[in-house]
Amino acid sequence: MNTHDTPAIAVHGLHKAYGRTVAVDEVSFTVARGRVLGLLGPNGAGKTTSMRMLLGLASIDRGQASIHGRPYAQLADPVGTVGAVLDAGGLHPGRTARQHLRIAAAMAGVDAARVDPLLDDAGLGQSADRAIRTYSLGMRQRVALATALVGDPSVLVLDEPANGLDPAGTRWLRTMLRGFAAGGGAVLLSSHILAEVAQVADEVVVVARGRVVGSGRVDDLTAHHGGDLEAFYLDLTAENAEVR
Amino acid sequence: MIRAELMKMRTVGSTWVALAVALGGLLITQILLVTVLPAIAAGSILANEPAARAELGPVDTSSTGFQYGALDVLGASGSSGSIGIATIAVLALGLIVGTTDFRHGGILGAALARPARTVILGGKVAATAIVAAVLGVALAAVSLAVLLSLVAFSPAELALQPAEIASSLGRGVIAVVLLALLGLAVGVLLRGQIAASIVVAVVLVGEPILQGFVQLVTGSLPVWAQILPLSLARAGMAAPGDAALEPLLALAALTAIVGIVTAAAAVALRRRDL
Repeated sequence: MNTHDTPAIAVHGLHKAYGRTVAVDEVSFTVARGRVLGLLGPNGAGKTTSMRMLLGLASIDRGQASIHGRPYAQLADPVGTVGAVLDAGGLHPGRTARQHLRIAAAMAGVDAARVDPLLDDAGLGQSADRAIRTYSLGMRQRVALATALVGDPSVLVLDEPANGLDPAGTRWLRTMLRGFAAGGGAVLLSSHILAEVAQVADEVVVVARGRVVGSGRVDDLTAHHGGDLEAFYLDLTAENAEVR
Repeated sequence: MIRAELMKMRTVGSTWVALAVALGGLLITQILLVTVLPAIAAGSILANEPAARAELGPVDTSSTGFQYGALDVLGASGSSGSIGIATIAVLALGLIVGTTDFRHGGILGAALARPARTVILGGKVAATAIVAAVLGVALAAVSLAVLLSLVAFSPAELALQPAEIASSLGRGVIAVVLLALLGLAVGVLLRGQIAASIVVAVVLVGEPILQGFVQLVTGSLPVWAQILPLSLARAGMAAPGDAALEPLLALAALTAIVGIVTAAAAVALRRRDL
């Protein structure tokens, strides 16, 4: 199943409802190796729910989601295949960044020696032994991103990873993601910071009220908007304002 | 997974608070048991309160019953239906392990690392059992030290055989592990720290109230009213023949209750969206 033709991430016809509320409705997209796909949409559009279904954290009512051709739960080495950032990383405020990463490494069966280089790469080497409760939002995001890389994965699934990052952090994230994709990795990225997505994503999928309302290469989609992703996004979501 | 869960426990302050409260609470309770109660009975203190002495009745520190009380690793032997500080702390220990991941989102990292969620619960059960067993041994050491001090510094003589002491303390350690696992299972089942705390508090307070009510209405305490977690833990540590259920039978019943609640927690963890 894990051939080079199989998309790194494949989502087909995903559907999820909570009672009568449809959160995700027939969402489909793929992310190839070496590509970054931006998942855009207003709050409550179904981006996070789609990611959770992809990662096996939420049940799928209908449709399929796979990574390298397999549902997440069937991956032989989940953390070694996929790194994820959700909900600012599930950080306990009383732990230090080093403790958090060591726990993540232990859960993944990864050598704890990998922790220190990751902390250094994320710019947390000097503050790694401070309680996370003393961290800024941007520092917490860096811990979450470092945690996602613990297993040296080939796929990243990141929900609002740029939240709270300062300009230096944003540049670090952009460089890291482009380098990751250049090395053959695949990235699924949701974000509200459209300028950032425009710089890092090869393709975007726009969802509104659980449905895909636009998708394609960033250059193609923004051709009629002077290359402005924000203008394209606002036009598209305004068209779908009734369904928001 | 077990190593990760042990690291999680070690790096959370509330775990250490629960352990300290259990040990400190037991030490205070048992010292009061072997010093204050005999002093009241002898009239050394509260000499002008004959009602207190009458209510307490005679206290024989050389009796096997009193010395079994001194060995109670949960410090709940002061009177029938009493709740020891250690009991609360042990249940809280399990509850902390069961709810902290849900409160701070750590359960997502665990589920991403181990998509088979029963493995996550298995890791928590094993880690909690290990820590609770270590705590149980420490509590047993405190109880034994209190009993030996009683014998050394008072006219009382040791009424229990070494095998009886070892058996009582061993059963106490098992009871501590089971109560911690019960707290864990309730925590995982309910997820919310406040909701789980309320349920545990209701069990702690409600069980003696229920038993008192049943006893008041029926004039006796039927067996079914003793198949409740705290009563089973107490019966498991009691001297053989002192409780309605034999100690090993009581521990077996408590194990069954813990197993049922843990199975319910496993089903809930598997089915729920995270």
